[in-house]
Amino acid sequence: MTTKTRHDVASLEELREKGRLIVQVGKAEIGLFEVDGEVRAWRNLCPHAFAPVCEGRVCGTRLASNVYEYVYGRDQEILRCPWHGWEFDLKTGQHLAGEQKLRGYKAEVEEGRVYIEM
Amino acid sequence: MTDSSRIAQTEEGAEAPRIIDADVHNAIGHKDHLLPFLPKAFHEQWLRGGPGYGGGYYGNNSVNRSDAVTDTGGAPGSDPLFLKKHHLDRYGIDYAVLTGSGILGISLNPDPDFGNAVASAYNDWLVETWLKASPQYKGSILVNHSDPPEAAKEIERMARHKDMVQVIMCSGSRQLFGQRVFHPIYEAAARHNLPVAIHPGTEGRGIAGPPTPSGHPTRYLEWHNILPTNYMAHVNSLVCEGVFEKFPEMVFVAIEGGLAWLPHLMWRMDKNYKGLRDTVPWLKKLPSEYIRKHIRLTTQPIEEPERKDHLNAIFDMIDADHMVMFSSDYPHWDFDNPQIALQQIRKPLRDRIFARNAMDLYGLHTRPQVGEGAVRA
Repeated sequence: MTTKTRHDVASLEELREKGRLIVQVGKAEIGLFEVDGEVRAWRNLCPHAFAPVCEGRVCGTRLASNVYEYVYGRDQEILRCPWHGWEFDLKTGQHLAGEQKLRGYKAEVEEGRVYIEM
Repeated sequence: MTDSSRIAQTEEGAEAPRIIDADVHNAIGHKDHLLPFLPKAFHEQWLRGGPGYGGGYYGNNSVNRSDAVTDTGGAPGSDPLFLKKHHLDRYGIDYAVLTGSGILGISLNPDPDFGNAVASAYNDWLVETWLKASPQYKGSILVNHSDPPEAAKEIERMARHKDMVQVIMCSGSRQLFGQRVFHPIYEAAARHNLPVAIHPGTEGRGIAGPPTPSGHPTRYLEWHNILPTNYMAHVNSLVCEGVFEKFPEMVFVAIEGGLAWLPHLMWRMDKNYKGLRDTVPWLKKLPSEYIRKHIRLTTQPIEEPERKDHLNAIFDMIDADHMVMFSSDYPHWDFDNPQIALQQIRKPLRDRIFARNAMDLYGLHTRPQVGEGAVRA
């Protein structure tokens, strides 16, 4: 059994300034995003083709709708992979058009520092 | 093909059909035969110009089997009695879904008023000449897809005939069939629970676009080889435009367009959807799932790979044994003989293809009440 270690990875202020951060923890690259007031940490590896997914656009999307209707929503809550354009829900890591998910880590903010467990 | 092992029993104890042929071409023996059903204003145009959608390629003598000329020297497929004897009785076929001949491309005549009038006349002629001749004949309501509102009216007019089992239109077109201009046709068909079928052969003719995006193939062989690309384009369009979200019960029948291309199309659509979902936000599941639920295919001309197991492998990849129905294309030259055409296909699926899938789609659950040669004159 492996025990998780808490890593101090960034300052919240820097994350807010830059909009996102990609940090290195051991051999892994982790993308940090603040979504709706909460910090999310996702492995910078797309489950589809191993692209650096966390370098993709943070955006909204067209929500499920009726035929020929266009409903924009989830602004700044969607991460779009820079290679094949897969959309991931930044809150859950779920791919919007399939079963796959981003690998995520528990993130916490304490006294202006961002910690992740991995 | 009449061995008793093939004859299933329905729940009521009546015999289920053994073979349903989903593509049989009934021909108009002579142009005059349509006149009683055509407004006088169009008689001269019809008699002198015919269906008027031009073009076409030089094939091997004729599109028709030369042995299918009727007893009285009539055009192949023009005599209900002869067709029954020469095709249905010979192969133990219980039902023939009639798909017309030499008139399917009426959608591609530049004049939509003429196209609508001829389609209506054909449908009335079909009822009188064929559907009243034998319960073994089932009709397809021909529509002029170039005028969708009028096509919808024609469906409304003809759907009351219980022996009309689907709508049919040619696959040659100016536009892809998913596009919303065509939706009135699907709305009318869905209202009457009728599948919508397309049939090839008019690609590049009349006002249709060229048979490929890079123009016209040089010879008939080359043109015939590549017809399935148009089917791929239409199926792709129907799914992506959300036709099956808008009309959730609709079934689209792709007659005579081959089937081995389907795994490729499904995989490609699913792959692209995973990255481009937001461009078609009305789709709620993978494109291949819509295809499995809403598309049906007919067998002729069945692919003939050298290795027997390859065709079964394709069916495994499609993963939807309910999708495929037997068809012969009688009396055309590339006819598939039901006694040998499907021998490569694993038996449980073959049995579904011969009858079960068409029974379910067209509601033909029991064999027709008719004896040998019992065509009403």
